[in-house]
Amino acid sequence: MIGSMIAVIQLELKKTFFARRSLWIYLLAIAPAFLYLVHAVDVTHDHEHRQALAAAHPVSSEALRSIAVGASLEDVTAKLGEPYANVKPNFRRRGRGGPQFEVNNYTDGENDFTFVFVDGVLQRINEQDRCNIQKDSEIFATVFQFFYLRLAVFFGCVGIFMNLFRGEMLDKSLHFYLLSPMRREVLMAGKFLAGLIAAVLIFATGTALQLAALSWHFEPGAVSEYLRGPGWGQIMTYLGVTALACLGYGSIFLAAGLRFRNPILPGAAVLLWEAANPFLPAALKKVSIIFYLQSLCPVVASSPGRNLSLLLRLLLSSAEPPAAWVAITGLLVVSMGVLVIAAFRARKLEINYGTE
Amino acid sequence: MDERVSFENVSRFYGEVLGVNRVTLSIPPGITSLVGPNGSGKTTLMNLMTGLVRPTRGEISVRGISSRDPERLCRSIGYATQFDSFPRGLTGFEFIFSFLTLFGFPKARCRTLANAAIERVRMGEAAQRKVAGYSKGMRQRIRLAQAIAHDPPVLVLDEPLNGLDPLVRSETIALFREYAAQGRHVIVSSHVLHEVDQISDQVILLSNGYVVAEGQIQGVRGEIQEQPMQVWIRSSRPAALASKLFEQDHVVEARLAADGGGVLIKTRDADRFYRSLNHIALSGIDIEGVTPADDNVNSVYEYLIGGGEEGR
Repeated sequence: MIGSMIAVIQLELKKTFFARRSLWIYLLAIAPAFLYLVHAVDVTHDHEHRQALAAAHPVSSEALRSIAVGASLEDVTAKLGEPYANVKPNFRRRGRGGPQFEVNNYTDGENDFTFVFVDGVLQRINEQDRCNIQKDSEIFATVFQFFYLRLAVFFGCVGIFMNLFRGEMLDKSLHFYLLSPMRREVLMAGKFLAGLIAAVLIFATGTALQLAALSWHFEPGAVSEYLRGPGWGQIMTYLGVTALACLGYGSIFLAAGLRFRNPILPGAAVLLWEAANPFLPAALKKVSIIFYLQSLCPVVASSPGRNLSLLLRLLLSSAEPPAAWVAITGLLVVSMGVLVIAAFRARKLEINYGTE
Repeated sequence: MDERVSFENVSRFYGEVLGVNRVTLSIPPGITSLVGPNGSGKTTLMNLMTGLVRPTRGEISVRGISSRDPERLCRSIGYATQFDSFPRGLTGFEFIFSFLTLFGFPKARCRTLANAAIERVRMGEAAQRKVAGYSKGMRQRIRLAQAIAHDPPVLVLDEPLNGLDPLVRSETIALFREYAAQGRHVIVSSHVLHEVDQISDQVILLSNGYVVAEGQIQGVRGEIQEQPMQVWIRSSRPAALASKLFEQDHVVEARLAADGGGVLIKTRDADRFYRSLNHIALSGIDIEGVTPADDNVNSVYEYLIGGGEEGR
């Protein structure tokens, strides 16, 4: 039995990794890493640009932070010198004596300061910090929870796990497995394990690449400090959550592939359910994979609810996130339950290509 | 020990569509042909006996093993299906080898068995090529190799001679006879009555999901020989082939294909036709494949089945 299962795993791994239809799964997994890389290049370039501007228009951080709203343009210029950029927006005057805007930009080489003057009096100061690990880890948490888990891993699992049986039905090649003296449950388990190994390798690598790309532009010292602190723990947690996402979604889509002829319908239904999670009542929130996955994530993501109207915010309900062990055990139990149901289905599997 | 393949009042429906109905059979070892027009239930019967589909009603036993126990059944059965599809990206050797690994055999044994099966169907030279690049006849042979690779006592073969050239066809028939002589079951399906006549010890005639007749081949032979038969032959030299065949008095018509890739022959004597085709192949005219293209076969079935229905 073990020998047969290993044979199934080897065959399925080869098929999953080298199939042409896996290309878009690879793309889903590495696309965020590519975006983080572009971000890193942009930040590096931006930093170099600020350094050059600071060299041409030197000003200290202390001097910049000492400026307060209400100061006059002359006082600010006397204290900080000439800005590296000065803009006088040509707003239409609404009548005689209308406001005259002036925007001055300064940098200390790390942070960018924008001073907005109205009729020569400082009205607003915008400070744009240089990226830091704290800020980027929040960005990562948001992208990870709202894009990577909900879309990339989700659709990747649709592609990998739905095809384990359904793809072979469509290719009319499933009967080769069913003609071997192997329990159908063993076949299903072998296929699931192969899909899980492939999905975890692909998407955990994607997660690791994203984290590497994200931290690429930071000073080595800052990265070491982060790793000595919460860094390794967060990285391992993200990898674990990725693996659990593959397990949870994988079991659902394997079962769906055995049950449904058209994978689009169950895929869309699960996607809608998972996407609607923030809007569901607290009790229903808990009947989803994403709820437990999000509760395991080490950094709280920016909630989309924050930018919603008051009415919508009232509609959103919050559920107390479960303890990590509850979330992990819950996901494992749900996955096992789904796989047991799928095994019953596999036991009754027949070859009926004509109706596919 | 039960040495027969038995169907006890077996029915199979696909929803409301009938696959086979109330089939009761007891097939002894030897070559048995399932004959019937397209849609008569031959493939359903084969899928039932190999466990690929389950009966809606009734019981099937293959040499004492229930078809509801596919784990044991598959060790005793080799099935070459009619599905012309393969796992993607595999060579002929990899296809057979990977199939054998599913049996849990050690890799060295899988390699030995795979090579032996491939040699048995004379596919040694093409074994390291991708199956996707094989001709129809080669794909047919590699499926046969997959069916015999684990040396099963029961071979179930769906239209196994379709697309084979005359030499390979006769080698394949010899292989069936050898297996049958060893006391194994060789159960083949065909809609070509001549083929059945040539290879079978016994025949099971199916129509619309029912077994119309079963028994020795002699009973149907006379009927077959009275009917003209059409065969589609693929060749790189169709004109030369047509000319050679037309010298035979039993050939009543030879028509070249519009694409120049073959010739359609109509003959009154199938036995003599196949013998002469073998001679022509040996004389150096390349014959890539022989496929029955005989609409008139249906008229024979209609004749036989019509007679059968009267007696049913």
